[in-house]
Amino acid sequence: MSPRPGFVLEVDRSTPSTLFWHGERFSLERLPEGSRVIYAPEPVDPLKDPVAAIRSALSHPVGDRQPLPSLLRAGMKLTIAFDDISLPLPPMEQPDIRQMVIEQVLDMAAEAGVDDVALIVALALHRRMTEAELRHAIGDRIYDAFAPNGLLTQHDAEDADALVHLGLTDQGEDVEINKRAAESDLLVYVNINLVAMDGGHKSVATGLASYKSLRHHHNPLTMQKSRSFMDQHRSELHSSNWRMGRLIAASGVTVFQIETTLNNDTFPPAFGFLQKREWEWGAKDRLGYLASSKALDRTPARLARQIFHSVKAPHRMTSVQAGEVEAVHALTTQHVWDQQGVEVTGQTDILTMGLPYISPYNVNSILNPILVACLGLGYFFNLYRGKPLVREGGVVIMSHPTPWEFNPVHHPSYIDFFEEVLSETTDPIEVADRFEESFASDPWYIHLYRTGHAYHGVHPFYMWYWCAHALQHLGAVVVVGGDKAAVHRLGFRAASTLSDALEMAEDVVGRSPTLTHLHAPPVLMADVK
Amino acid sequence: MSADRGSSNSLRPLRAARTDSSLGTDGDGAANAAGTGILRRLSPSALAARSGRARFPLAAPSWPESVPRPPPTPELGVNYDTDWSRRYPVRLARAMVLDNVARPLARVLASPLIRGNEGLTDLEGPVIFAANHASHIDAPLLLSSLPLQFRHHTVVAAAADYFFDRRWKADAWSFLLAAIPIERTKVNRRSADLAAELLDDHWNLVIFPEGGRSPDGWAQTFTGGAAYLAARTGCAVVPVHLDGTRHILPKGGTGLRRTRTTITFGTPLWPDEGENARRFGARIEASVATMANEASSDWWTARKQAASGTTPPLQGPDAAPWRRSWMLSAAPAQHDRDDGVEWPTRKG
Amino acid sequence: MKALVFERNLPRFAASRVASAFGSGRGAGIGPLQLLDADQPGLPGTDWFHLRPLLSGICGSDLATLDGRSSRYFEDMVSFPFVPGHEVVGVLDDGGVDHDGAPLAPGARAVIEPVLGCAPRHIRPLCPQCATGHSGLCGNVAFGALEPGLQTGYCADTGGGWSTAGLAAHASQLHAVPETFSDEDAVVVEPAACAVHAVLSAGIASGDTVAVVGAGTLGLAVVAALHRVTGAVADCTLMVGAKHPHQRDLSDSLGADIVVPPDQLARAVRRHVGSLVLAGRLTNGADVVFDCVGTSESVSQSLAMVRPRGRVVLVGMPGRISIDLAPLWHRELSLVGAYAYGDEGPAPASPDGDPTAIAEPRRTFELAIELVGAAGLGSLVTASYPLERYQEAIAHAGAAGRRGAVKVVFDLRSRKGTTR
Repeated sequence: MSPRPGFVLEVDRSTPSTLFWHGERFSLERLPEGSRVIYAPEPVDPLKDPVAAIRSALSHPVGDRQPLPSLLRAGMKLTIAFDDISLPLPPMEQPDIRQMVIEQVLDMAAEAGVDDVALIVALALHRRMTEAELRHAIGDRIYDAFAPNGLLTQHDAEDADALVHLGLTDQGEDVEINKRAAESDLLVYVNINLVAMDGGHKSVATGLASYKSLRHHHNPLTMQKSRSFMDQHRSELHSSNWRMGRLIAASGVTVFQIETTLNNDTFPPAFGFLQKREWEWGAKDRLGYLASSKALDRTPARLARQIFHSVKAPHRMTSVQAGEVEAVHALTTQHVWDQQGVEVTGQTDILTMGLPYISPYNVNSILNPILVACLGLGYFFNLYRGKPLVREGGVVIMSHPTPWEFNPVHHPSYIDFFEEVLSETTDPIEVADRFEESFASDPWYIHLYRTGHAYHGVHPFYMWYWCAHALQHLGAVVVVGGDKAAVHRLGFRAASTLSDALEMAEDVVGRSPTLTHLHAPPVLMADVK
Repeated sequence: MSADRGSSNSLRPLRAARTDSSLGTDGDGAANAAGTGILRRLSPSALAARSGRARFPLAAPSWPESVPRPPPTPELGVNYDTDWSRRYPVRLARAMVLDNVARPLARVLASPLIRGNEGLTDLEGPVIFAANHASHIDAPLLLSSLPLQFRHHTVVAAAADYFFDRRWKADAWSFLLAAIPIERTKVNRRSADLAAELLDDHWNLVIFPEGGRSPDGWAQTFTGGAAYLAARTGCAVVPVHLDGTRHILPKGGTGLRRTRTTITFGTPLWPDEGENARRFGARIEASVATMANEASSDWWTARKQAASGTTPPLQGPDAAPWRRSWMLSAAPAQHDRDDGVEWPTRKG
Repeated sequence: MKALVFERNLPRFAASRVASAFGSGRGAGIGPLQLLDADQPGLPGTDWFHLRPLLSGICGSDLATLDGRSSRYFEDMVSFPFVPGHEVVGVLDDGGVDHDGAPLAPGARAVIEPVLGCAPRHIRPLCPQCATGHSGLCGNVAFGALEPGLQTGYCADTGGGWSTAGLAAHASQLHAVPETFSDEDAVVVEPAACAVHAVLSAGIASGDTVAVVGAGTLGLAVVAALHRVTGAVADCTLMVGAKHPHQRDLSDSLGADIVVPPDQLARAVRRHVGSLVLAGRLTNGADVVFDCVGTSESVSQSLAMVRPRGRVVLVGMPGRISIDLAPLWHRELSLVGAYAYGDEGPAPASPDGDPTAIAEPRRTFELAIELVGAAGLGSLVTASYPLERYQEAIAHAGAAGRRGAVKVVFDLRSRKGTTR
């Protein structure tokens, strides 16, 4: 049976309760009559023979590129860059897409007799990956062949010797990227396009860039002008990256872009009910829900987190295309929309969302309050094309425990950002003016980023800028079931139950508001008319 | 608030410079000073102080200054005397350990598939087993997998500088493996004489002509030790190929990983009339290479390539390290095991 | 008239020690402290005067003594039975003479400098410390004409503040209270003097980063002193680690630049100074750290956040603690004690002629009186109790931070000095 498209449900009296994520727990909530619930499309069938599809894509590229085997010759300098731990979400079962693609590329390179090959994790200012995470992403074969010889490196945006400045775009934006990548005869980029924001010129222009480059588009004004940053054509973030990408190409860097898409089969069979529409839950699903929600209620947070973060998603590849960046990305975007697009008519007064335990920036880690805000007001709020799901001045209600907890290994600068910066101001522009410079240049954060597994000192700022459009657009933000002190520090309102939250929201948007619930994950894109 | 409020503020991360501790107190701030009284008198430091002051005859005597001390005789390394490990009681003990501990352990860790041992049944000793070397697990595995007629009357040639540099190591390996020290960096008369003497005494010998473990999985050049000894004593050389041991206890790695291994015994080789040690050595190496080829492809391909002289070299291709590693990992790991034929049952 | 008397009674001592494990001040009910009838103490000499207490504060050192947690070092410096209370503002019913020799009219209010040095003990010649004005460091506190006693409030002969019967004060101890002062202002003069002395002996230079660990009475007084008494250091950055919200608010209003919870203080210092972290310590750090708590944890924490060759000043009374001194040796740190008061200065003449720098020796108490007036430190008195409710009072003082209080005092004003 072909997968059903996403749709918008009108809640009536006979509609059962709706599933709400709440961090490492979930609950069923009754939504008022007349609310809408947006459901994602069902997972598209994955490719039957991904390896053959990859090989075919590499041999029949799109856009202005030769087939990969003809681009490879002995004596050349080849660099393969790939997406880091923030994709896909949740981490996928082995073999990972990156493993499959890079193995094919390396087979071709071995056949051609290429000796000088380097692999780079394109992590920009994200944290370095651990050995276990790398082995999971690229497989033991590739890891054991490259890592012991120092040929598998993680991009270091603070190593001045490893960066090269390629010039300024016509808008005066610095383009400074990884030196090895820029000076290679061929740069192959392996991308996983989970959401429409990823891929295209952003892969190289952001993934392999330095702070000097990134601050031109990772700033509050750019994010406010990106409506949304998931929509490449109306996103200032993407315009900037495209300018940079074109300059990189013009500087003589040949990029062979390989982009892949996934279906949204996000949950293993044991948790399959999380993906299904509630009225289609069979006995097994209901039993599964009851068992897991009761068990999770009794499980301490740390253990629940460990359990969830060890779950690997069964999503699989649905398409692969290779060749010239822009041509490839056009095809990829189409595939992403095919899987995730849902048509929604009209905006709403109140948008509710249940936030899960994971965001791109806390894989194997804690979703701290700043990341909660980023996940809700950054990612989920921006899953639209056209107009935001919520009207201007509307309210977003997010459900998450928002614990006042930070992982000191992964997010050290977040702790100080939360204590020092947010206690002073929550306005993104003021935050940028007063504090960004000192965090970005703090030597301790730089040390932890370069040698440990910490996000860069400036990264919490980017998380806050991701919310800039939403903060400007909304009338209020309410967090249900969150730690009160943490929620207040974020500048939001705290409610203990959904009905309290709705009461609070009505103060802002007026009586009898319209309500829409975003039933995600799995990820979807709303095409708002 | 503290990072991860539930936990304490202690800041002793394992790699101190790589994590951001929460800069609270450290554990030693709360430690109490050692108490006085009986607890103090029984503390390790106190006991050590008291025993350190023990005098002769409880402790070893000190040497008077006027009496000349004889020069110390080196007793380790190549000079270590392994005779005691070949006496009957020690042989008995070793045999018990080998059969009751080492063999089952080898089955669990390595589940070795042994091939080619048919050619050994009629072989009369003594025999020199020359094997490739990828892991420290090779010697114990090979020793415990030898056919019974050889197993308890075999010595293993081990690097004198690595295995015999400390007393306890020398004792341990002599007992467990019947190891004899072999100088591997230069030709040493004593180790060669010892080996020849043992062979004449009808002891079998296990030797690794590479001289050390392979760094990347491909073999190193074979030295002429095995060939020289065979020429000198007239013994047969049985080439052995060990496949898969580099995954169990990798060189430079830590920890054991269970991996299936294959031990292939080749046909015994004797030096031809007048054949010099170098050529004989090359023949031994070619035989091991053929067996390696057999392990990575199949027996027929290996035989055909051996016949036409196109066996891929044991040392691997001349390419960048990543490509050498790539080719090694691309080969199928193991053949399918057929653990027994399923006989049809009679029904009705 | 009643007084709280601390008697030598071993079983009750042990009991209070056990009780204090459940919280500071809990042992007051079963400890060696009792409320007894008392007469006015006799005057040990002609230069002694009766002081009738109006308010008397409960100090951290009093709590430590009552809990049995104070160091055994002090055992030789107290004489039983004694009446505790060394933070006192009282009335000289019969008049008196202050430390300068100026006469004080009957009914005048005065505060006392509780240290019993050579002068009250009629020891001639004065010991070297008293001779140079550092009476707090006097070594003769157990000798001379009086029973052993570190301060008024630990001496069997003088009486103490926690009584309506009054105490005996030597002329050298008396300081007149300005008319504009409320009784609450006056009772915090003594802790303010401790703070002033600590701050002036810390050697703070212009532009330094100063951290204060602990925001109880002493910590807050240190915060106040840092900005007002050490005028030349107006451009210092003052960072305070305060556990409770009301303490944080007070720190802010008294002029602290950055106020954070105590477990975040090291992070805040690191961020401000821009240093790295090595072996759990900052590679660079604050120039001076005032430890106003005095536990193992706070001293370790202070040593961890000070820069090489920096200075940690112990203001609060510590006990017997165990700390790793390797970092102290390796980074050439100074760990100094700051006790009581005496004379301050003269400060070296500052190049820019700062008028508030101390040009000639002045008594710490005088500076403290000025500080209390300037900073309005009387507002630190947040609770007062009559003597009869001493158990509650001491429990409240023990849990002051948690219960939103700073300084808890005994209010002795309702008694008119009549016998009961």
